[in-house]
Amino acid sequence: MLEVKGLTRRFGDRTVLDEVSFSVPANGMTGFVGANGAGKTTTMRIIMGVLKSHSGSVYFNGTQIADADRARFGYMPEERGLYPKQQVLDQLQYLGQLHGMSRGDARTEALDLLDRFGIADRTKDKLESLSLGNQQRVQVAASLMHHPTALVLDEPFSGLDPLAVDSMTSLLAERAATGVPILFSSHQLDLIDQLCDNLVVLAGGKIVASGTAAELRARASAKHVVVTPPDAGWLREQPGVGVLDVAGPRALVEFADDATAQRVLRAAVQRGAVTEFAPQRPSLAEIYREVIR
Amino acid sequence: MSTDLNTKPFTATAISPVAEQRGAPWLIVTLREVTVKVRDKSFIITTLITVALIVGSVVFAGIMGERTTTATVAFAENGRTANLLASANELAGSKDQKIELTAHPVSSGDAALETLRAKDADLVLAPTPDGYSLTGISDVPADIQSLLADAAEAQALDFNAGQLGVTPDELKAGSEVSQVLLEGNQERNSMAMVMGFIFSFLFYMSAMIFGMPIANSVVEEKQNRVVEILATAIPIRQLLAGKILGNLVLAMGQLCLFVGIGLLALTMMPTEIPFISVVIATSGWFLAFFLAGFLILAAVWAALGAMASRTEDLQQSTGPVIMVLVAVLFTGMYAKGSLLVVASYIPVVSSVAMPIRLLSSDVPLWEPIASLAVAIAAAWAMVLLGERIYRRAIMQTGSALSWRKALKLED
Repeated sequence: MLEVKGLTRRFGDRTVLDEVSFSVPANGMTGFVGANGAGKTTTMRIIMGVLKSHSGSVYFNGTQIADADRARFGYMPEERGLYPKQQVLDQLQYLGQLHGMSRGDARTEALDLLDRFGIADRTKDKLESLSLGNQQRVQVAASLMHHPTALVLDEPFSGLDPLAVDSMTSLLAERAATGVPILFSSHQLDLIDQLCDNLVVLAGGKIVASGTAAELRARASAKHVVVTPPDAGWLREQPGVGVLDVAGPRALVEFADDATAQRVLRAAVQRGAVTEFAPQRPSLAEIYREVIR
Repeated sequence: MSTDLNTKPFTATAISPVAEQRGAPWLIVTLREVTVKVRDKSFIITTLITVALIVGSVVFAGIMGERTTTATVAFAENGRTANLLASANELAGSKDQKIELTAHPVSSGDAALETLRAKDADLVLAPTPDGYSLTGISDVPADIQSLLADAAEAQALDFNAGQLGVTPDELKAGSEVSQVLLEGNQERNSMAMVMGFIFSFLFYMSAMIFGMPIANSVVEEKQNRVVEILATAIPIRQLLAGKILGNLVLAMGQLCLFVGIGLLALTMMPTEIPFISVVIATSGWFLAFFLAGFLILAAVWAALGAMASRTEDLQQSTGPVIMVLVAVLFTGMYAKGSLLVVASYIPVVSSVAMPIRLLSSDVPLWEPIASLAVAIAAAWAMVLLGERIYRRAIMQTGSALSWRKALKLED
């Protein structure tokens, strides 16, 4: 598990991170969201040691992180960082070697990754001759080369077509399943919803929400859909029920607590037919919009 | 989360091939720098062309030195002129001058001129009341003219001395101006001038060819943000060390190749080169001084690269370094006397100034050692300073930094 505790960073007088704490559990993908300028990139750069924090620390598996730990992480910076004028395979091999792999291992791994991303035929091409999407694939491959113990990916999906997103997410899910904590930032909320086991929401340099998707969904005001033909209007008179919307037999309601929900269900059954009585799961995107408000 | 960890332990560690670093990171960077350059076609071609130029110029100089000027000289048959030609050939032999005159006696002066016009002779030599006249078609080679003048003077001296009843030596007594040079001798000085020029040029060329890429590759990595990935993989100091070392190895390798080929070609020439042992010994010193000078420049190039934000910024910021290099070049070509002595202790400039002093005169051994020590100390200081600026400036985004700002940066 990767943990961030009390990170604070100022640029001049401006505080861009204010006591930021959250954790990135192993065995799952953690989405890192927030508006532009919220401090996501700064946080990731501090985790990777590219930038120093003014206070706070980063922990990996319970101990404060050292350069040796970071050397085994995989990192994808926001502004893509590879050599445009060098061959694809060549530079992946070099990066692998710098991460301590032997030349042969690095080559095998690079070829394997490029093959999985469907660009095995471009190994000898210069990076700059590839399309942006393919350059992105190479960039992700670079961060995965040395089988990192944790992954910190800044906007790994931006600029990728849906197929590329699929191949990348399946690869990341594979790595996550082996116990690698993965932190990635994104503005694509639908993608976050689909991929994330955990979510960290940053706004103005502060954490406004963090936890597992289930926790956040549970914490978000629980709404229920109740369908009681012929008309759901009677729900308005029930104590402890906030009716958000009624359309004929269908109502969207908020219960004060679980006991209220059970009482209302019993009442509904007594009144006649109940064709639907279901909690409405908010999407992470909705949760994000709610907390950011 | 901890339960997750317990039930599913970190297999990533198990499958990771990163057990321990295989070979030092700086070595990987160094090898990378070297292999990328050595595979570069333009680098190979320039190196080969330079080698060819070095061998070519040595061979050319050798051929020019060996070449004998020959001329057929026509003259109206008479003993005095024939004698003059014979003694001129003798004189050329004794002075090691490569001139050979072939006598072509004809019946009269007009016939001689006729032979010249018909291009059967190169020159016509005719006695005049004051001595001789030398006629050519469109020019008279200066070396032949001065040789004949010397021979004619000796002939006249002999004749006139006989008339006066004295020996030629008695007649010449008190007229000799012998040559004494306080520093070296003429032959050695001209050798020092040529070699000094070669050393200066080699230094200038190598410092540019291998120094500039340090700045360029630093700014390229900064601009493309590769450095962020590299910095997480290996300590940034090792990255810089590998980069500088790689270019140093390349520069020294190329320089050794050029100097070695040049010296080999020189020693293989049939004619004996004066002071070849001095040249060889000084070449060794030059390589040692180059090492120190290059390290200083490399540290500066690296700092400049880290302070720039785009490759374009380098065009401005590298100006002063290039001026220093031009100053080194001019020192090598023109500095003399006490200016040269002072220059031979200033790091970077000393890389050519001290070898030139060693070439032109016998300098006591402690001087180059002291100067080299100064240069190495300066190199050490500059590398530390350069590393400090590099480490702090390389992660800075935004506009290019000045030296003042770069020194103030915090980690």
